[in-house]
Amino acid sequence: MKTKSLFAIVMVLLMLSSCYSVRVKVTNGPGGEPAETETEEVTAGELIRTLDTVAKVGIATKENPINLPDCESGGLHAVEYRTTFGGILKYLITFGRKRTVKVKYVCNKKTNTGVIDLD
Amino acid sequence: MATTTTEPRVWWDTLHKNGRFDLKFFLRTKLEKESNMPSLLDRYNDAADEMRRLIKEADDNDEGFRSIGSKWSMSSIAHHPDRMHFTSNMNIGFGIPGNGVHANSTYKSENLFFFQCGNEIKEISHFLESKGKSLKASGASNGQTIAGCISTGVHGSGLDIGSVQDYVVGLNLIIGPNPEDVVYLERHTKPALNEKLPQRIKARIIRNDDLFNAALVGLGSFGFIHGVLIEAEDRFLLKRYVRKIKKQKAIQISNTMDFQPLANEITEEVDAQGNANRPYHYKVFINQYSNDDDYVIESIYKKPFDPNYKQIHGDPIPFMKQFIYRDLIYLLIKISEKFQKAIPLFIQALSGTILPKEKDENGQEKNIVGQLSEIFWDAGYQGKAFACSFGVDHKNSGKALEVLTKLTKDDGPIPGIFAMRFVKQSDATLAFTKFPVTCMIEIDGIQWNHKEDGIISLHEYGKRMIEVLKANNLPFTIHWGKNAAWDFPGLAQDMFGGDVQKWMDIRSALLSPRMAKLFSNPFLDTLGLSQLSSPVDPGLIVSL
Repeated sequence: MKTKSLFAIVMVLLMLSSCYSVRVKVTNGPGGEPAETETEEVTAGELIRTLDTVAKVGIATKENPINLPDCESGGLHAVEYRTTFGGILKYLITFGRKRTVKVKYVCNKKTNTGVIDLD
Repeated sequence: MATTTTEPRVWWDTLHKNGRFDLKFFLRTKLEKESNMPSLLDRYNDAADEMRRLIKEADDNDEGFRSIGSKWSMSSIAHHPDRMHFTSNMNIGFGIPGNGVHANSTYKSENLFFFQCGNEIKEISHFLESKGKSLKASGASNGQTIAGCISTGVHGSGLDIGSVQDYVVGLNLIIGPNPEDVVYLERHTKPALNEKLPQRIKARIIRNDDLFNAALVGLGSFGFIHGVLIEAEDRFLLKRYVRKIKKQKAIQISNTMDFQPLANEITEEVDAQGNANRPYHYKVFINQYSNDDDYVIESIYKKPFDPNYKQIHGDPIPFMKQFIYRDLIYLLIKISEKFQKAIPLFIQALSGTILPKEKDENGQEKNIVGQLSEIFWDAGYQGKAFACSFGVDHKNSGKALEVLTKLTKDDGPIPGIFAMRFVKQSDATLAFTKFPVTCMIEIDGIQWNHKEDGIISLHEYGKRMIEVLKANNLPFTIHWGKNAAWDFPGLAQDMFGGDVQKWMDIRSALLSPRMAKLFSNPFLDTLGLSQLSSPVDPGLIVSL
């Protein structure tokens, strides 16, 4: 009984914990959308948005991507993609039909630059 | 219309967690959407109206008001316990058309650009580069807002350029709640704009050198800085070398600003007669706990722009990410990654650590070439940090470094390392870069608990630093945005002498007593800079 409980705890922990994450960042843009927060992450000062969902194949495919409607600037500054053991397990068990999506992203800062006419 | 959200808060902190500080309200202003108000100038004026409303609201409640940018300052200069206002979304920017330039201007219209307060250095560079232009200088990184930079005197190591405020040539301030409280300041001896743009932004023009120079490094207390006019220049490249050289040689260069000793170290930067080129930027990294015979120096040279520079030299940004001699706290964090986090053990480990040579993935010294925005690139949050930074005449740099590092070892040891940068003199009245060439001696490090770690407190350390500089007759200034014993008696007068009274007289003349109080804060009170002069001399703010 004890062994089973221990196994279950380990499995739950594994499923909850992240396997790895990758952060991708644009180098030649205007920078990330700013935010005044008290976070102590490396992204402090940037407005972090999160997409945490399960994509079902047939709904989210290459032709029908998951839409991100909330970037006022229309551009992305940085994306962090995270995988979890649980997500991989779900993918395997459902034969790829359900895919856990955990993405943090920072929109580009909305620029307000241009030309003026003084005449 | 521009909209402001007001959030009740209990506390606020700086990016590097140097607080916490009490706070009643935190305000965030966003511009009207471009689709609803296409004209940049209409949106700018709309934001000005909103700012006047916010100032009136604070005044009606008998509360103070202080705008902030990216909150990179580690001192409490950005803090006000009543109302703090986030400006980073106020980021209009445009070039000045030829018909907007003053007839007597020495500036080319193609180099004049106007930026609203919340524009960050990174996005300004992004915009300027799209026009084939560049900022003249920046700090070691790029996340500060332009208004935050000039209010606190942000500097890099521009030997012949100066700090960020030194290429600002016009200021649009909002000094009260009324329409006539929108003013545009510039120097009367160096006018930049004719009346066209000030009229369009409904600003009174005041051309007055002394007023402009006082407001330029205004410590956030000369009214709300709504916009700044800067002089940019044609884009250029920077070639960066990092070398280990003998300590004596590094200090000799620092004391004399004679770069000939570098001729043997950086042989690529020597002319046909064997004379060493003068760098754009010179920086010395110092681990005061190490007995290494060498210091690491970073020497950067200005080069003409070549559109093929990435093909020739490679993309500089991966190198800047990879290489460790960037800003000082980044270097320290990189060094500390392999040590235990306990402060005494960390310091013990520092004493056995020599600053490494900077090498690329192949183990070779790599000289990096890139634009200003690429060499002084992003620096993310590195953890709870402190930084103390003193300005001294470069001729005293060796002596000042000696006494400050000795103090740091004897009275500490303090968990940080030193660097020296060198900056051209500023015209701003309270610029800490006040010497002909100012050496900024800085120590950056990780915060400690003086009781648990058995080390003197940061405040006590800051006080002792001032005491040893005074005891050794070394005139000094302190970076407004860094940690210090700001309550040291007579500190402002010690640093700036008669310029303190001049600055306060001009501020008293420009602002009404209510507005002077509204735009003050406890930091100014501590330094005695919020006092009002009496009688006020209106002649100080006339347009000349």
